[in-house]
Amino acid sequence: MSTKAISLTQLQEKVRTITLPLIVLLVWWVVSHREIVSPHFLPRPETVVGAFFTLVEEGILSFNLKMSFTRVISGFLLGISFGLVLGIAMGLSRTVEKLLRPLFDAVRQVPMLGFIPLIILWCGVNETSKVVFIAIGAYYSVVLNTFEGIRSVKKEYLEVAQVFEFGRFNLLRKFVLPAALPSILTGLRLGLSKSWMLVVGAELFTATKGGIGSMMAEGREQWRMEIVFVGIIIVGLVGFVLDQLLKVLEGRLLRWRKAID
Amino acid sequence: MNVPEVKIRVNYNEGKVEPLKEVIEASPSNSLGNAAVLGWRILLDSFNIFPGPLPGIVLRLGDKALGLIVPLLLFLAWDLVTRYELTPPQLLPLPKQVAVTFLDMVRSGELLVNLKISLLRVTAGFFAGSFTGLVLGTAMGLSKKIESYVGPLFHSIRQVPLLGWIPLLILWLGMGETFKVFFIAIGAFYAMTLNTFQGIRDVPGEYLEVARVFEYNRLQLFRKIVFPAALPSILTGVRIGLSLSWFLLVGAEFTGASEGIGYSIAWARQIFQTDVVIAGVFVIGVIGLLMDRVVTLLEGYLLRWRRKTFTA
Amino acid sequence: MGESGALQLSNLNKKFTVEGEKISIIENVNLTVSPGEFISIIGPSGCGKTTLLRMIIGLESDYEGDIILAGKKLNGPSLNRGVVFQDHRLLPWLTIEKNVGLGLEGKKYARNRKQIIQDHLELVGLRGFEKAYPYQLSGGMAQRASIARALVNRPEILLLDEPLGALDALTRMYMQQELEKIWQQEGGITMIMVTHDVEEAIYLSDKVVIMSNRPGKLKKTIPVPLARPRDRASYDFIKIKEEVLREFHLQAEHQFSYAI
Ligand SMILES: Nc1ncnc2c1ncn2[C@@H]1O[C@H](COP(=O)(O)OP(=O)(O)O)[C@@H](O)[C@H]1O
Ligand SMILES: [Mg+2]
Repeated sequence: MSTKAISLTQLQEKVRTITLPLIVLLVWWVVSHREIVSPHFLPRPETVVGAFFTLVEEGILSFNLKMSFTRVISGFLLGISFGLVLGIAMGLSRTVEKLLRPLFDAVRQVPMLGFIPLIILWCGVNETSKVVFIAIGAYYSVVLNTFEGIRSVKKEYLEVAQVFEFGRFNLLRKFVLPAALPSILTGLRLGLSKSWMLVVGAELFTATKGGIGSMMAEGREQWRMEIVFVGIIIVGLVGFVLDQLLKVLEGRLLRWRKAID
Repeated sequence: MNVPEVKIRVNYNEGKVEPLKEVIEASPSNSLGNAAVLGWRILLDSFNIFPGPLPGIVLRLGDKALGLIVPLLLFLAWDLVTRYELTPPQLLPLPKQVAVTFLDMVRSGELLVNLKISLLRVTAGFFAGSFTGLVLGTAMGLSKKIESYVGPLFHSIRQVPLLGWIPLLILWLGMGETFKVFFIAIGAFYAMTLNTFQGIRDVPGEYLEVARVFEYNRLQLFRKIVFPAALPSILTGVRIGLSLSWFLLVGAEFTGASEGIGYSIAWARQIFQTDVVIAGVFVIGVIGLLMDRVVTLLEGYLLRWRRKTFTA
Repeated sequence: MGESGALQLSNLNKKFTVEGEKISIIENVNLTVSPGEFISIIGPSGCGKTTLLRMIIGLESDYEGDIILAGKKLNGPSLNRGVVFQDHRLLPWLTIEKNVGLGLEGKKYARNRKQIIQDHLELVGLRGFEKAYPYQLSGGMAQRASIARALVNRPEILLLDEPLGALDALTRMYMQQELEKIWQQEGGITMIMVTHDVEEAIYLSDKVVIMSNRPGKLKKTIPVPLARPRDRASYDFIKIKEEVLREFHLQAEHQFSYAI
């Protein structure tokens, strides 16, 4: 039938998608090869690719990634465990909400980077301070989304639970948490991407050995533009992959939701 | 103490004060809120400051008062811990000292100078970024063609965490104002582009049909239908963008600056002036809050039409 | 079960507070339902049918009067009263099988849980859909699953709030037959159904209770002494339909439209 027409528009779409990236690459190639801009400012594309392979071969990249991952995972887990507890407590009890929500909202107004100096003062320039800092990032998103998720559980579903005489525990397990799950998972995803950003920040702002952020910081200090470039691409890719992983998890856990295509 | 007016009953057997029914009914808050209110009443009455029934506004404050309990307790703990030097004073100064330092910073004009610089940077970055974002978001929202040209590149660049740009931007732009403003602008740019785009794409098809019935041209369509319908989402973009800008400002001033509120905190940290750090964190928090409030006011004004349908 | 298992509503009054003003929704309702009876409550929308049903379920507190089942005053929901809500209210995160099993918590059912679920899915004609999620069912199927869910723990009374209201006319007629079959197979179960479809009420019920609007009062009870299964086009059926419609000051115009 019209398969040809469909593939044509699809082709058109693909062409459009890659046009701008191709132009950017081309401009980059021309500008760097003609040395319109000094190579100090704009390395050649092949230099960046070369730097990538060197970093991989010498194990520098994997070492730094491992450092960053360790920090992100410990900070993320720390943050979400506190976040889930507070979010659930505030969601379930109006009294807890009234007691803690104002303080939580007030503290949240401080941009997270603002806590770095305080955390360093209190925890020192070490792994603890970085992990705590990363934890804060995950914490906020998880608290807010868990709270909202629980509060938006429909009254209709809770009435079903009432009719079947469910106890408090079963009510939480069978009704409240599953109904709040989509929102909680959103909180986890946001939290993870914040944590990933903050690990880069923590490594940039606190003198650190190891980690993808400090690799970029060193690249900057030594004017090794290609290392900074590789760093940016890797950081972006990892952030993307982490997000996709949680999306897969989300899809698994939320099979019951109508797939919105 | 004026017992009949206070409307409480002391239950000696169980050792508790029971509020009378009328008081509970007068207050919409829950029992703990009532307890707090009643506590205040008894206190005030015993000092004979507020004879007679409490004004309704105090009763309505009952819920709000609950939120003060934990901060007050924390403050008390801070005060006690520092007073008895349970923690090293260079790590946690006395609350009073932080207050004195804060007042000093205000009086000497140091705070004002730093704040002015920081606010100038945020304003410049925010407006540059959000305007660009508004234009790009609108273009992508209105035209599927532009979206498919620009969207993929935009979304892949967006994968890089904001703070990751710092090293590259410093190399390209140096550590001066250009770097800071540009860096701050990125946050507002992302937030505005995304929310404007989404807002325009989410305009219900029914509204567009209304426009077709009235034979609106493209400009009328945009001005009368698309833009107002997308406005809530655009304002969300403003809110997120502004708070991102403020966040990025702190980052920018940590990296390379010789003035600004972020810089003064970072510097105080290095010379162990913990009181300045705490005062500074407090100030950036309050400014963040004020910015959020301004956007809320703006929203309330621009989205008056929405408020009405909500209460009806 | 005898007269002792009867459901008695006596002197029920219910007010809602709307913007500070108390509005009377249910006024002076008295009704006795014998065990095993099928009763329909019919009335214009907004007259308080759902509210009355929710009171019997135990989801509304704060009313005057008594609701007595088998001599005992009711207080809150209980598993001896099942309910089919107007919106099926299947939990979207559970499969049909698990949704139907919601009423089978506890050790009592540990052994034959699966069997009970199977039997009831069979009863409502949903075998083979055990693992489906609610979004994969059509409206009629979801409503049937919801009926199965309400029946699994063998309630004495099943309360139905416009269970077929959202279905198209043909599916609705089919489901009416199914509902009657279930009522007969479940032997001895009392069913109280709220509807605004006159024909549906007469087709299914032993008694049709007519409710008036603002405030909701029980206006009249009309018995339906017809043999089952009933013929919607029969003379007696239409006579009763006219009688019911007269209560609403309406005329039965299209008497034979179903006999096509
Ligand atoms: N929780 C409530 N608060 C205030 N008014 C209510 C509430 N629930 C129902 N009502 C009002 O009570 C009346 C009867 O409602 P309902 O029992 O749902 O009617 P029906 O099911 O007969 O259509 C309606 O006017 C409705 O607006
Ligand atoms: Mg109803």
